Amino acid sequence: MQPYEPKIVCFSCCFGWGYLTGRDVLSVRIKNWIPVICSGKLDSTHLLKAFKEGADGVLILGCPDGDCHFQDGNYQTRKKVHLLHKILSSYGIDPRRLRMELGTDPDGDTITKLIENLARELRQLGPIRVDGMQVETTDRADSRG
Amino acid sequence: MTKKPKVAIYWLGACGGCDEAIVDLNEVLLQVASAVDIVLWPLAMDQKYHSIEELPDGSITLSIIHGNVRNTEHEEMARLLRAKSNLVLAFGTCACFGGTTGLANFCGKESIMQWVYRDAPTVENPKKQSPQPKTTVGGESLTLPELLDHVYSLNQVIPVDYYLPGCPPPPDLIGHAIFAVLEGKLPPRSAVLAPQKALCETCPRNNNKPPRIDITGIKRVYEVEVDSHVCFLTEGVICMGPATRGGCGETCLRINTPCRGCFGPVEGVEDAGAKFLSAFASLVKATTDEQVQVIMEKFHDPAGCLYRFTQPTSTLGKRSKVRETV
Repeated sequence: MQPYEPKIVCFSCCFGWGYLTGRDVLSVRIKNWIPVICSGKLDSTHLLKAFKEGADGVLILGCPDGDCHFQDGNYQTRKKVHLLHKILSSYGIDPRRLRMELGTDPDGDTITKLIENLARELRQLGPIRVDGMQVETTDRADSRG
Repeated sequence: MTKKPKVAIYWLGACGGCDEAIVDLNEVLLQVASAVDIVLWPLAMDQKYHSIEELPDGSITLSIIHGNVRNTEHEEMARLLRAKSNLVLAFGTCACFGGTTGLANFCGKESIMQWVYRDAPTVENPKKQSPQPKTTVGGESLTLPELLDHVYSLNQVIPVDYYLPGCPPPPDLIGHAIFAVLEGKLPPRSAVLAPQKALCETCPRNNNKPPRIDITGIKRVYEVEVDSHVCFLTEGVICMGPATRGGCGETCLRINTPCRGCFGPVEGVEDAGAKFLSAFASLVKATTDEQVQVIMEKFHDPAGCLYRFTQPTSTLGKRSKVRETV
């Protein structure tokens, strides 16, 4: 049997990550890599849709703290991610599957390493089942309120 | 023999509020009743299911179906009415998006059954009984519809021609929809028979909204009395208006209650909750993780709040029964 290899989608900001290396070069090296003009451009719909389409994890790479090219795009997405963690949990999806990292790497060499870090954690969690049933979640009493 | 168009009004997993809204058409209902032949309306009339089964396919001009699909009886009736009808109108929020009871999908069927018949503190059930689809009593076999594994919106089970959201839909939109069918003035199929823009467009409070809203604290409705002309979001009260279709007549806003999103997403959007999440997050004044944490911890049960009416049709809640059986 093939070992489980999680599918990870990586959205990364064009202004902080990999802008010195050709996009065509990096996209060969990094699977499911989606450079975006700003991490703030990411809508919650994009991130939920990634899970819906079968991603086991989503990694967002934004500009460093206080250093967003568009002033505060990374902070905007940080807020979305915070709420999305709670939303995912209600759908029975472990919030650790959605990760945001702020930083910068003009060559984009560390992107694969960051993806591998997440993949290592996801291998522990196993594959995801997005079918509205609680499969891996935590405290169900919460949603009963 | 009457030649009036045949109309069926039927409830699936519904509270009855949608039927009540049809009754609230008042005198208009008399006009409707004289223009059509109502072949099924369990709330008001005494027709039997077999009389529908005996009709030729496609002979009902319009079926107005409200409620979601939660059990096998709902599914069976939805399919029967679809076969017998020329047009199916998903009437009300439950039929359009799954409705409030769609929140049950966050728990799963087994968990709900265990809670309701075993674990809830008010339950006394020493014999551990729970409803069974088939039971024998005195040698007779009794049957009950079985719960499906999931709450479905109507279009996840049968093809739907038109949608009229609302919990319940307001009388003006109901009257407009019914007469549009009778007069043959319907928009293209799959249309939502309600305005296309967000509720904020028609909200009277919008005029007094500041150019920039900065939310520094989230408040629940009982924690603050918002002035009747002030935008709820400026006070940190969660109002789904920016991501919710207008047309409801602002009934909640007029009694100083924020929008909860019963009209579902605006035109072109599938997941109103996700869109609202993005919009709301951008209004929260916070940059560091700690600030975000402090403000957002007062946002209780975000999934329940954002998907209060739309869980079954949300991005991650979406499932279809159509493919399994057709």
